[in-house]
Amino acid sequence: MAKDAADTPFFQKRKSEGQIVVKDPPKFDLESYIANYDGFTRAERLRHIGSHSTYLAVDAYRTAIAEAKRGKNVKLYCDLVEELAQIAPEDSAALTDTTWATEKTKKVEAEKEKLEHELKSYKNNMIKESIRMGNEDMGHFYYATGDYSDAHKAYMRMREHCTSPKHLADMTLRLLLVSIAQKSWLTVQSHIAKVDSTQVKADEKAKLGPIISACAGLAHMGASNYREAATAFINTSPAFLTAEPIAGITWQREVLTGNDIAVYGGLCALASMDRSQLKDLVLDNNDFRNFLELEPHIRRAINLFCASKYSACLEVLENYRTDYLLDVYLSKVLSSVYGLIRRKSIVQYFIPFSCVTLDEMAAKFQTAGGDYATIEDELEAMINSGTLDARIDLVDRLLISPPTNPRYTVHADALAMAQAYDHTLRLRLTRLNMMAAGFEVRQEKGSSKDAVYKDTSYGESISASLRGIGSKMGFT
Amino acid sequence: MSAEIITSLLSFQPDAPELQQKREYDKEAREFIKLVNGLTPATFLKGADSPQDPLNVLDPATNSIAYAFTLRHRIEAANKKSADQLRPGASLWNKLVLFLESFDPVQMRYAGEQWRKLVEYVELVARNEGAPALAIAPIRSAMFRLDATTGTFTSTHLRFIQLCMETRSYKAALPVLDNYIHSLPTAIAKETLEDLEYSVVAADSVASGEFINLKSGHTAVISLTDLQEYYVLGAMAYLGERQFHDALHFLEHVLVTPANNALNGLMLEAYKKWVLISCLADKSHKTLPRTMSSTAVKNCRNAAKAYEALAEAFQQVDNLPKLKAQVNAGSDIWAEDGNTGLVEELLDHQNRAYLSRLSRTYSAIPVSNIARNVGSSADQVTAFVDSLIGQGLLNAHLETKDKSGAGAVLGFYLDPTQGPLAKTEKQQQQALLEQTQRTNALAEQVRDADYRLSITKEYVGYLKRQKKKNGAGGGGGAGVDAMDMGYEDGDLDEDIMGDVR
Repeated sequence: MAKDAADTPFFQKRKSEGQIVVKDPPKFDLESYIANYDGFTRAERLRHIGSHSTYLAVDAYRTAIAEAKRGKNVKLYCDLVEELAQIAPEDSAALTDTTWATEKTKKVEAEKEKLEHELKSYKNNMIKESIRMGNEDMGHFYYATGDYSDAHKAYMRMREHCTSPKHLADMTLRLLLVSIAQKSWLTVQSHIAKVDSTQVKADEKAKLGPIISACAGLAHMGASNYREAATAFINTSPAFLTAEPIAGITWQREVLTGNDIAVYGGLCALASMDRSQLKDLVLDNNDFRNFLELEPHIRRAINLFCASKYSACLEVLENYRTDYLLDVYLSKVLSSVYGLIRRKSIVQYFIPFSCVTLDEMAAKFQTAGGDYATIEDELEAMINSGTLDARIDLVDRLLISPPTNPRYTVHADALAMAQAYDHTLRLRLTRLNMMAAGFEVRQEKGSSKDAVYKDTSYGESISASLRGIGSKMGFT
Repeated sequence: MSAEIITSLLSFQPDAPELQQKREYDKEAREFIKLVNGLTPATFLKGADSPQDPLNVLDPATNSIAYAFTLRHRIEAANKKSADQLRPGASLWNKLVLFLESFDPVQMRYAGEQWRKLVEYVELVARNEGAPALAIAPIRSAMFRLDATTGTFTSTHLRFIQLCMETRSYKAALPVLDNYIHSLPTAIAKETLEDLEYSVVAADSVASGEFINLKSGHTAVISLTDLQEYYVLGAMAYLGERQFHDALHFLEHVLVTPANNALNGLMLEAYKKWVLISCLADKSHKTLPRTMSSTAVKNCRNAAKAYEALAEAFQQVDNLPKLKAQVNAGSDIWAEDGNTGLVEELLDHQNRAYLSRLSRTYSAIPVSNIARNVGSSADQVTAFVDSLIGQGLLNAHLETKDKSGAGAVLGFYLDPTQGPLAKTEKQQQQALLEQTQRTNALAEQVRDADYRLSITKEYVGYLKRQKKKNGAGGGGGAGVDAMDMGYEDGDLDEDIMGDVR
């Protein structure tokens, strides 16, 4: 059944929409993988895997549906069932459990009314703490039902009723979690800044540290700022792995696991740092080593890159492409991250040579991603974009490093700069002279609309005369 | 009788020992002008065509003032009666041309009115004869003799360039165009010009912006559009000579016109051409001169969207069909603005831009590959490439290697010091030295402009107010000194560069 999943209407449709569809079986085991996660991310990850991997689709959806049934998010359940029905209509889980759904909806409605009623009475009593808690409960409730924007609003309403820095920090962390669930990375970043600036005790602060840096890394990665993401991830303290729940959230289970940090951090670092930086900041980093140990192949890839074995490094990464495509946060940025690593490898590989044959390049860097048909095309694109400083000899099939002549370049640059300044100064003097002589184009009074082209009639006569000249010059 | 005239005409001897002091010279020259001005036109006509003809007795190079007056009156008379004498080749014409090529520049500083009239007559006569081109050389030499920098704009500049454009003598216009217009004639107070030892009109050090002013008679009153027209026409002349960079720079002088939320036709015209030429000069059409006012930029952009779109299409070097489509779509616009020729030039140029971009990617590429990419035959491409190399537009060489059967191969020189377009270090140094000289000359011109500004009524008024303020506060007249101090000897260059930034 798994084999023909690719031909189901669901995947056909996703393909036509340009979404990523992964056919190869990933290296991980779904059950043990998903066992690492809790909370919203569990269902979300399952759904992501289900909708991207033809191989794991049915299993993932079944688990996800079971998961959704335990929660309060009826809409999620319905969506999941509907999607599964498109993949495996005859599966038992593909039939909507209408009784459960209606019952649950009613229950949820009742709970909502109850909470709203409670909040109202708190407000009437004007007790700050109760109002805060009432809002928090509303937030929790909305979060559980998957209504993230209302959850965000409810948590935001807690703000004016917070009385201690701890409350404020908790609230902001909650907001942070909700905005991560919404994948709105800009909001995540602003909340991170807020958490960072809250005034809590030193030991509390120390607990917040790892969470902040992990979430900051995630936000930067989501916004494609790989350099910042790498810095944030590799500076995450290993305390993250064992941290106690803060603000009622077990971050290492509900958002990111240590494995995730190792993978995200390692890939972002590979994509944005050069060899010496990788060695100093990543491999020799005691904190990050704890994470890297969880994902030895990332460590191996970085080691290979540092040892200039680029093709081996790319091969390692290529082996895990399927896995990473099924990661809910990585899949969107993966091709750009891999592209960066690949381009950087090519550049680094070429540095010590003055000339390499194209065939050698093609052998070292197999064209895998499918973006380019041949290595020539890829190299050409890299040279044109300025990433690689080289020239291609299509006749002898060589990649040549252009000779540099700093003395000549400096002279030429100096001359160009002097001329540019000279010309700018001349223009300024012209303008100055014009102003001194009282020459200025002025708007005619009274005709505000046509004022911009006030000289149209004059301009026309001018252009007519210019046209005459133009025709004489052979330019018309 | 005629001898008397000659004596009076000869009464001013510029080489006389008592006139070595410039102030004396100045006084004498002015008095002499007054004297000659007082004579009736008839006086000048006496003795014509006789051995005692003043035009024969006077030497145009030493008695320039007297000669100019006489010549003018004679021409005016001849114009009414016997136009034959004025024909090119006839005696008066020859005398006129001789005068314009040999007059004494210092004397002509005083007789601006005569100088302008004579220049105008040359043009008039040449036009009447249906050969306006004949006037170009005399006018040009008159301009250069009067002011070797030709950098003070006069009405003659405009007439000259108009004449050159009419007769399509672009090359003849270049010597004048190449000189930067560093001053515009302004109204300079009489006192500053006459009574000071070092700034009398006759002084050696005086800049052309001072002796050519609105009262000196060398120029008619000029308007903004005159100046703009000069620049636009000048740009066209450069175009005619295919000097795209210079044309671009000329148009920029129009674009920087101070504009108070308005445009005039010439500015718009200049902007349209500027966009096109920036493509031809391999520059970005987005980097407008920084001096241009931002509202003017906005207005220009709004009014010339079609041109911008064209330039965008041109930038996409790989996409020739798009440019062609743009060109066809806007053909009415180009025709109306008289820019069709330039637009077509863009089409040609894009191929060239494509080839020069290849040099950034390839060191050698078979011509057949290029032909496939641009969709034409290998032979056509080979011929095109060959012509480009021949014109010195591409630092490359064509080889016919037959080893892979690929046919001709285009090879680019990677090292800028190799190939036909290479510059040796000496050449570079030479270029740098020349640039230094230009910059120094410019610094001089800035200093002059500064001086001219410092003697304007507005500035003096400002200084007075400033002094009053300072006087009240107990400071005391620092304004004047501050102005002068900026241009003291050593730190001149630094100061200027500081201003530019």
